[in-house]
Amino acid sequence: MSRPFLTGYCLLIYAFLLAPILVVVGASFNAGAFLTFPPQGLSFRWYVTFFNNEVFMRAIRTSLWVAFVTMIISGVIGTMAALFHVLHARRSKDVVRIAMLAPLLLPEVLTAISLLFFVYAIGIGTQNMVGMIIGHVLITLPFVFINVSASLESFDPSWDMAARSLGAPKLVRFRRIMLPMIKSGVIGGCLFAFIISFDIFTISFMLKGVGTSTLPIQLFDYLRTNFTPEAAAVSTVSIVLTLTVVIISEKVLGLRIHRF
Amino acid sequence: MTEVSIEKLTKSYGNARAVNAISMKIAEGEFISLLGPSGCGKTTTLKMIAGFEDVTEGAIRFDGQDVVNTPAEKRDIGMVFQNYALFPHMTVEQNLAFGLEMRKVPKPQMRERIAKVLDMVQLKGYEARYPRQLSGGQQQRVALARALVIEPKILLLDEPLANLDAKLREEMRVFIRDLQRRVGITTVYVTHDQAEAMTMSDRVVVMFGGRIAQIGSPTDIYERPENHEVAEFVGQVNLVEAKVESVGEGTATVTSPLGNFILPTKISVKPGNMVSLALRPEAIELSMATAGQPAATVLASYYSGALMDYRLKLDNGDELHAQTFPVNRFAEGDRVALHAPAERFWLVGVAQ
Repeated sequence: MSRPFLTGYCLLIYAFLLAPILVVVGASFNAGAFLTFPPQGLSFRWYVTFFNNEVFMRAIRTSLWVAFVTMIISGVIGTMAALFHVLHARRSKDVVRIAMLAPLLLPEVLTAISLLFFVYAIGIGTQNMVGMIIGHVLITLPFVFINVSASLESFDPSWDMAARSLGAPKLVRFRRIMLPMIKSGVIGGCLFAFIISFDIFTISFMLKGVGTSTLPIQLFDYLRTNFTPEAAAVSTVSIVLTLTVVIISEKVLGLRIHRF
Repeated sequence: MTEVSIEKLTKSYGNARAVNAISMKIAEGEFISLLGPSGCGKTTTLKMIAGFEDVTEGAIRFDGQDVVNTPAEKRDIGMVFQNYALFPHMTVEQNLAFGLEMRKVPKPQMRERIAKVLDMVQLKGYEARYPRQLSGGQQQRVALARALVIEPKILLLDEPLANLDAKLREEMRVFIRDLQRRVGITTVYVTHDQAEAMTMSDRVVVMFGGRIAQIGSPTDIYERPENHEVAEFVGQVNLVEAKVESVGEGTATVTSPLGNFILPTKISVKPGNMVSLALRPEAIELSMATAGQPAATVLASYYSGALMDYRLKLDNGDELHAQTFPVNRFAEGDRVALHAPAERFWLVGVAQ
């Protein structure tokens, strides 16, 4: 196929994917009282409303906190799983990989319902954030696992042997040789965990505790009764936050993130 | 300086024996090469000496002390890998400092030792470079420096020149050999390249199928190979049919198209046996044919600058390969006389 045709085709796909987002961003600057597009006049009034809305502010803090905790837990567990998978697993290699990727293959709503039964069965319940965070960790774990595994595949075992011959014990080799080389995979995986956790709806919806609504849940609640451009402002802030993380990871850290 | 002794060293993977009860002694400061085709067990042997492979059976002793149960990080060895294995996230200086830090060498002393070893490998001024900013040959020398700066008991090299181009490889051979002589460190060198093993080593260990075929000086290996396999692996060999006329005390008198000789023999032969004589191509000298001398016809000649290679046809139809200096040159179809001294022949076996 010719180059101009392919270029045009790609542009169409991008337009299809991005147009709704642009509409939302555009609608957030609406001066009117209703969520319409094109906007009726330009104004930041809905952003002001949003930043003064204590309910939304609490939700965004909850989301950031949950995403942060999820990232740390997923980062540690996912990295350890990847280390085992690439370096030590022999016969169990395929089983480990499939088990780690299973959360991606199951419908999120199924995972959410099962988890709901599970947290009550073991007595955690949904009074606090623990159940929700367990769910988030489950969903984000595969992304850490994939990223760290990929960076480990390019780790040359002779580096480790060289360090051994130079007299470095196991922990020193991990800290000074292996960790620096898989750093990009670990950080990339963690950022992914953060972004995805920030975005999770179904799990949060089922497992949220009293007063622990995350931003997507709060937005959903809000839209059930209101239809103002404030919703668009919330979405835009959420998009900007996610984009910032992606841009930081791509540009500043120069990472290659493996999603699959 | 350390003496290494290996006794009945064996490595099994299931029922397969990668290394099969090999024994050798490596003297203090000796440069020894493990030479053989891939899969002969040379690298496995090296890895067992380094401590990267478990030993199935047998002993490895450094100065009489068995190190089989000592982990690699405590064996005090310097190792150079085929792909150099320099730490890519560290500068040359940090790479060299790594082993010294593990040994808790004080900073000023560390700087001194790094400077000294960089001088030895002619890389002064490269301290701040990263491995990716260096050429293959330079990386090779950094790897060598990193192994030597810790002043290890023994130096192990695993096909270190395999990734370099031909010209650099020859330079590095001489470089490594000279450096090893100067430092005086006991060295084990693994290679499948016979020229490398011959030019660098005090002794060569030829290995086939997990066993030692022959241990000896490069001259021994080349001129007095234990068997035909060794002879073929370390160079080209001609085989000439001959007939045993009489047998003496450890010798046999044979007649061949290249003349009659009395040769020492390790195998038992009887008068009347047909045997094969082995002869290196460069042991044959050629001159214009005169009557009464063993002669052949030139089938083809190849000029390679320093040497001439000839494909010759004996009158009985057998072909020979001869290699001479291009002083007298012969053309296709020329009749040439063959001269080969008796001491350059060896007897390799009885034809059935």
